[in-house]
Amino acid sequence: MSNAPDLRYVRYENSRENEYVAAMRQLISKDLSEPYSIYVYRYFLYQWGDLCFLAMDDKDEMVGVVVSKLEPHRDGPLRGYIAMLAVREEYRGRGIATKLVRMAIDAMIERDADEVCLSSGDGCLIPKRGGLEGMVADLYVPGQIVLETEITNTGAMKLYERLGFLRSKQLHRYYLNGNSAYRLVLYLKEGVGAIRTALVDPYGLPPPAPGLSDACGGHSHANMGSLI
Amino acid sequence: MLPNNEVRVPHPRFAQSAPRDITAEFTKAASKLNTGQLVKDETFTLFEAVGALEIMDSKMDSGYIAPGENLAQALEDDYDVQRPLTPEEVVGLMDQLLCHEVAWHKGHPLSQTLFTSIYLDKLLWPVPRTMDDARFDRVPSDSPLVNLVLRAYCLALVKACDFVHLRVATEYYYEEEDFVSQLYNRNLLSAFDISHFHRLLDQAVSWVAEQSDIDQKLKDAIHCRLVFRHEFLSALQQDVDVLETRSAENFTSCIAQLRPLTETVTLGKPVPDAFSLKIQRKLASTVPPRPMVNITSDDALAHLKRLCQDAIDMQQMLDYTGPSNFKTAIWTLLSRKPQPSIYIRCLLQALIVSNMTILGAVPVKQFLYDELAELVLPANILLESSTDEVEVPSDPRFQIAQRMDGFMKRFAQPFVDTVRCPCLNRCRMRRTLCHTLVDWDNLQMEAEEIDLELRTLSAEPPLQFQGGEPTWSFPLSSWAYHQKLVQFRLILQMGFELSIYSPEELPGMYWYLSHICSTHLGHIDRIRTFTVAARKRDLMSTGDRSGSSSQKASAFHRSFHALERLTTHIIAVDAFAIALHALYVVLARHNVLPSASSPQAYSTDRLRYEIRMKPFIPITLPELVPYEEYQREAGLEGDSDATILERASKAITEARKAWEATLANGAFIDDPSAPNQPPPSAIEEDWKRDVKNTMRACIGTSLAVEAAKKALSTASPTEDKSLNLEVIVPEVGSKSRWHDWWVVPQVSEKKSKV
Repeated sequence: MSNAPDLRYVRYENSRENEYVAAMRQLISKDLSEPYSIYVYRYFLYQWGDLCFLAMDDKDEMVGVVVSKLEPHRDGPLRGYIAMLAVREEYRGRGIATKLVRMAIDAMIERDADEVCLSSGDGCLIPKRGGLEGMVADLYVPGQIVLETEITNTGAMKLYERLGFLRSKQLHRYYLNGNSAYRLVLYLKEGVGAIRTALVDPYGLPPPAPGLSDACGGHSHANMGSLI
Repeated sequence: MLPNNEVRVPHPRFAQSAPRDITAEFTKAASKLNTGQLVKDETFTLFEAVGALEIMDSKMDSGYIAPGENLAQALEDDYDVQRPLTPEEVVGLMDQLLCHEVAWHKGHPLSQTLFTSIYLDKLLWPVPRTMDDARFDRVPSDSPLVNLVLRAYCLALVKACDFVHLRVATEYYYEEEDFVSQLYNRNLLSAFDISHFHRLLDQAVSWVAEQSDIDQKLKDAIHCRLVFRHEFLSALQQDVDVLETRSAENFTSCIAQLRPLTETVTLGKPVPDAFSLKIQRKLASTVPPRPMVNITSDDALAHLKRLCQDAIDMQQMLDYTGPSNFKTAIWTLLSRKPQPSIYIRCLLQALIVSNMTILGAVPVKQFLYDELAELVLPANILLESSTDEVEVPSDPRFQIAQRMDGFMKRFAQPFVDTVRCPCLNRCRMRRTLCHTLVDWDNLQMEAEEIDLELRTLSAEPPLQFQGGEPTWSFPLSSWAYHQKLVQFRLILQMGFELSIYSPEELPGMYWYLSHICSTHLGHIDRIRTFTVAARKRDLMSTGDRSGSSSQKASAFHRSFHALERLTTHIIAVDAFAIALHALYVVLARHNVLPSASSPQAYSTDRLRYEIRMKPFIPITLPELVPYEEYQREAGLEGDSDATILERASKAITEARKAWEATLANGAFIDDPSAPNQPPPSAIEEDWKRDVKNTMRACIGTSLAVEAAKKALSTASPTEDKSLNLEVIVPEVGSKSRWHDWWVVPQVSEKKSKV
């Protein structure tokens, strides 16, 4: 797939929030039955603006966007998450989304390669990003990248699967319209699957009562508890 | 993409504190910020960001009144609930309400379904204190069609929702995935006895019958709708009492009414003005305005019919005839497509176990013991010792009873949970299995500890195989391992059902399935060996003296029979998996199997294997197959194409035989004490259909293997590896996908391009 020559790919800049965010919201909201609040955009862009990429046409209009984040997953290794991806309808099928996703993934890999270098190479052990001091250097390599996509969105699914993502589970009625989703996962290094993390599913709905496992029969456990 | 339907839960407020003006404090704090500077609280999560609303944005703020918008007009509808209605409109309204009711059953919130009805809004708000309060307006309408007929219908509908809500909310379900339990501070008339509703419906039926100025067709249409409400209400009221009543009468009558109801849908005239989204603005809720959910009458009626039929067929599993029959019935009923509705799944949960009792009749302990007797401990002292009988603490029987009691307390719950697991939606079921697999891995280790103690107490003699170490039966942990292997297999098979695997993974996944099956078969052989030895010992020690010998003989017979059935079934799965594995290996070798990933992918096969094995990595037994070994085994390295396809042919022949044998064995183990067996039930028919579909998939595989063989034989060896074949991997739900669990490729000769 060749990229359109008249397109420019740029990284998001916080200084241009006003112009970028408005265009971004417009682009993304088009495909949503209900808009995300401004806080969702700020949540990502404030913390991971460098993992957001935009495709602009020759008139400097935004035609594509990818928004993502990268943070430790349940105190484990870093995990990337592709939160939003949108391309203006008339520009679809030209590889723009693939290019944007590749840029985001590359940025995640690069960003952490930088940090590993910084924390072990020049003697400075404090990583650039705050709040993560004391973590082992090799945990900085992003272990995996995940995302969800609507089960009916075959275009998106094909795109991610071409890049090496695998479906790890199906999420029943995940979206507002009642459609289910697939969780797609890409491992970037070995040993990620073996790291045991808490059983709580961060994207799943909150369990009905604290202390109950994800296993079935949660509510009824109460009457099973009286066994003894 | 992020979900946009996170539960929007308002934060708990610390009430009691008196309000105070914070304008000055706020202004002072804000003045320290630069324009455009963003402050993010450390604890502000994505969850909260997604749940946040922008006030004053009409798309998010359901209470927002735009400038120039009239407050009264924005919140109130002009619709007059007292206006006389034509019989056509009454039928139309009833059917619109029925569609909304079913949409709610299917998991949509009341605010987007039933609570868009202005009639229901007037009935339920302000909350009526008496049945008389529950009317459309303070001033009664002059039209009995409205104030009697439609009102009775609406009230009975709300009461039916009350029963459904009550049942679902007390069982295990996933909020927003399966059902939305939110009532928006309304009450579904739960305080009022069902007799009031029946009385009103009866009055309405009589009134309609007396009318001479209404067309007979419309009278019949209204009549069957009222009768349906009557019967549906009774059916839902019965709920778990079905264990006593054993009556499917009401649900059967519902289905009888659904037929004339379906035929008269076209007589109705919809009244769109009687439904309004404005009501959402008044409902106590923190969700943005959301559109009305409209499902068609056809959909709604089909759903209701299935619900009633599932409830009727549920009758066939209420008699307990042993653990394997019970589990087969539950599994088969819940695997119906589409999956039974959330009400049925919750009702089943309650029937499966309530108050530590299975089907209201069998104590959980007995259920667990029956299972153990069937699989690992027929006529065994471990299950026969009981603390009630032996009270001398030094007696080994007393100590065995104590250990077994401890085992029961630890294992009864997880065991019953495995039986209830199919009540979850299919996605959750697979995810839950991935979690319980880890639990059972630990349970198996705990069971081993108990086994060690028990074997001393019961003085179990070890077996010795060809001069090897002495070996003991480890009955409890053997049973736990069996449970785990069943779950292992289900996780893989549910993966096929939920279309988790990409085409290039299919050779490996079918290899893994056969790997688990052969491990399982080996394990069952081990169990059988110990049971055979126990039976021999038993015969030698008791001879014919004991009066209980015939009982013992039948216990052993039952167990051997159960193991035999299990073996046949797993051989069938194994052989089929081996055949598909082999076929897919050849297709992949020649690059005719479609691939989802591209050569430019970020990932490698090794990393993808790790993702796929993630649920199994923490499991100690069976051990994870290392990637190198997997690659070698699953790739059938060193075997020629011809050898592999021959293997596929042989395996699929064996699979067909084993599935025939499975079908002949039947869904259920016959009860030898019953004089004559009941005719095959609907559940049994479902089970047979499932096996027959599997057999169709076997035939499809044979054809695919033959096509591959033919293409291979005609391919010139000098050319590249690709074969002149077109391979289509049929999607779940498509006609050529005979069975969800068996992805049989369609292999055909590629049409040559002219």
